[in-house]
Amino acid sequence: MGSSTNKPELIVNGKRLDGRAFDELRPIKIEAGVLKNADGSAYLEWGKNKIFAAVYGPKEALPKHTGDPEKAVIKCRYSMAPFSSLEEHGRSGPNRRAIEISKVTKEVFENVIMSENFPGTEIDIFIEVVQSDGGTRAAGITAAAVALATSGIPMRDLPYAVSAGKIGEHVIIDLNKIEDNYSDADMPMAISPRTGNVLLLQMDGSLTRDEFKQAVEMVKKAGQTISRIQREALKAPYEKISNKYK
Amino acid sequence: MQSVNSIKSAYIKEMLNNGVRSGRGFMDYREISILTGIIPNAEGSAEVNLGSTKVLAGVKLDLDEPMPDKPNEGNLVISAELLPLASADYDTGPPSPEAIELARVVDRGIRAAGIIDTESLFIEEGKVWSVFVDIYIMNYDGNLFDASTLAAVSALKTTRMPKYEDNNVIREGKLGKLKTKGIVTSCTYAKIGKSIVLDPDGDEESVMDTRLTIANDDTYIRAMQKGLSGSFTQHEIEELVDTTFEKSKSLRSIINKLSD
Amino acid sequence: MEIVIPGDMILDKPIHMENTFIEDGKTYAAVLGIFDQEKKTLIPLEGLWYPKHGELVVGIIIEEKLNSYVVDLNAPYKGILVAKYVRDKLSVGDIIEATVKELDETKTVVLMRERKLYGGKIIDVKPSKVPRIIGKNNTMIKQLTEGTKSTIIVGMNGRVWIKGGDVALTTKAILRIQEEAHTSGLTDRIREMLEKSNKEQ
Repeated sequence: MGSSTNKPELIVNGKRLDGRAFDELRPIKIEAGVLKNADGSAYLEWGKNKIFAAVYGPKEALPKHTGDPEKAVIKCRYSMAPFSSLEEHGRSGPNRRAIEISKVTKEVFENVIMSENFPGTEIDIFIEVVQSDGGTRAAGITAAAVALATSGIPMRDLPYAVSAGKIGEHVIIDLNKIEDNYSDADMPMAISPRTGNVLLLQMDGSLTRDEFKQAVEMVKKAGQTISRIQREALKAPYEKISNKYK
Repeated sequence: MQSVNSIKSAYIKEMLNNGVRSGRGFMDYREISILTGIIPNAEGSAEVNLGSTKVLAGVKLDLDEPMPDKPNEGNLVISAELLPLASADYDTGPPSPEAIELARVVDRGIRAAGIIDTESLFIEEGKVWSVFVDIYIMNYDGNLFDASTLAAVSALKTTRMPKYEDNNVIREGKLGKLKTKGIVTSCTYAKIGKSIVLDPDGDEESVMDTRLTIANDDTYIRAMQKGLSGSFTQHEIEELVDTTFEKSKSLRSIINKLSD
Repeated sequence: MEIVIPGDMILDKPIHMENTFIEDGKTYAAVLGIFDQEKKTLIPLEGLWYPKHGELVVGIIIEEKLNSYVVDLNAPYKGILVAKYVRDKLSVGDIIEATVKELDETKTVVLMRERKLYGGKIIDVKPSKVPRIIGKNNTMIKQLTEGTKSTIIVGMNGRVWIKGGDVALTTKAILRIQEEAHTSGLTDRIREMLEKSNKEQ
């Protein structure tokens, strides 16, 4: 959480700094299949976040000892480009935060990928954040789900993710960077829309039980919009060609 | 052990021997597009698409200390990453020799051409600007050298200059541009059997015997790099230098047309 | 025709179909596809190849072992040819067509009845588009062969071997079929494309 000195006013006249309502998402745009070599890919813009997601596999698990004779092993690499932040030049190579995000992201997809169909193989998910403005792990998961769907790897659902949080006494959805730094609670969540199951949950700050419930409701409501955008992105390339030849 | 790609591309050698190249002439570039300013958080950025090769370059300026042997100059640091998502053949981990060679060759062309005047990056004693250029390969389909040089130079030429005021770096608001001079580009050639082609794509690179990159501006050759094991004759190289001066004109004019 | 995404319910009852899964007595799509209401099948727009006995494949020999050859099939699993059943001696780099015999315990695709293919060019397409490249009653592939004079072998693994004739035209046509596989009128458009190109020559 941010320091309490130098803390900017995050809510002015009942609106957030960027003019959004408490339950309003930043604009999201997704384009499927943008990288030719990958087996599946997507490019996503979420507010100022810009993220590429790509999938390779299923392919032979290497080194062999990392494979599982019962099912496909899911591997995930979340990474931020050194030029992605508004501040200084970042260092190359994964830091501890990126490694943790890679792990919890992998665990989202282990839930939905039908990995039992591909024993002894690995499925690699790559999330590259080329510009960041808060909520990149949620945006990355949302993009990776679309990339997986374009790869043809069978899944039981198409997960989405978004962060909820709290500023003062207001529960809010989709924190940008400055809100993330200074909020009183930050809670990224990933949901399996078909079942409503929670696939990722992280939180730090302070939330009452009621505030938590409110936050989850906000996440699920926002999820309807995010799921619709994912669906449209998957259909778009096909509809574009169909419309050409109607 | 032959790779699957080189086996699939074996037919290319015969085609070239018969004077046929898929969809273009031996000395033609694929379609090139350059977009700048696509990463507003960075001080400068560019995305280059050369056929299906996709390269992002981001420029960040940070406050730094000068190198001990150059106390009145700032620093230019150029790095490259072959992202694992760009090709089934790229792995995670520290930069491979290929990534390092790519960064160093692009660096040599830009440095030798004096695109950035490192003395202009001096702020005050003990304080200089470091210009970090990070080249991110997003999709590999051959000729990373030319695409990366185009991306790095396009990004640098549209980079905004942060302000240093009262010990603070100001990256937003009305800013001027990073001072640059001239344009450098590179032309990369692949030798496949007896044929030499400009701007090899991924399939062609999987069967090439050797490669030559020549970086130049409008007056001088600025850098050269021969890659892989095969060899060129002196005559071949001299011809390729001439071709480079010819072909680089259109590359420079694409960069000239870029707006901020 | 409604495009469905992973997790969409397609039937209110449990029917076993490829690229779907059953939960709580209902059938759901597991991949991006189009659900054909009449035929009650899910046509995958993106899908992987699930090898079946008797399918024809095109592969590349990538390794020679003591008793077998390892075959690259552009698929999650490799193929294997048992050396003692092989017709002619094979080497690394050879292109073959073969038939799927079965999957062994490690899901390696055991191949049989291989035939070496000489020269030619390989293009890899999405396995889900192979049926469209072949066409109902082979209509599309016949049209391609006649219009280009190429020999074309389409592996169910999505690997296509092309030799002779107008290879560039054949390649272009097959890639176009891949892109427009989900539309109607494709057979006619491809026929027009081939006729136009042949007129121009």
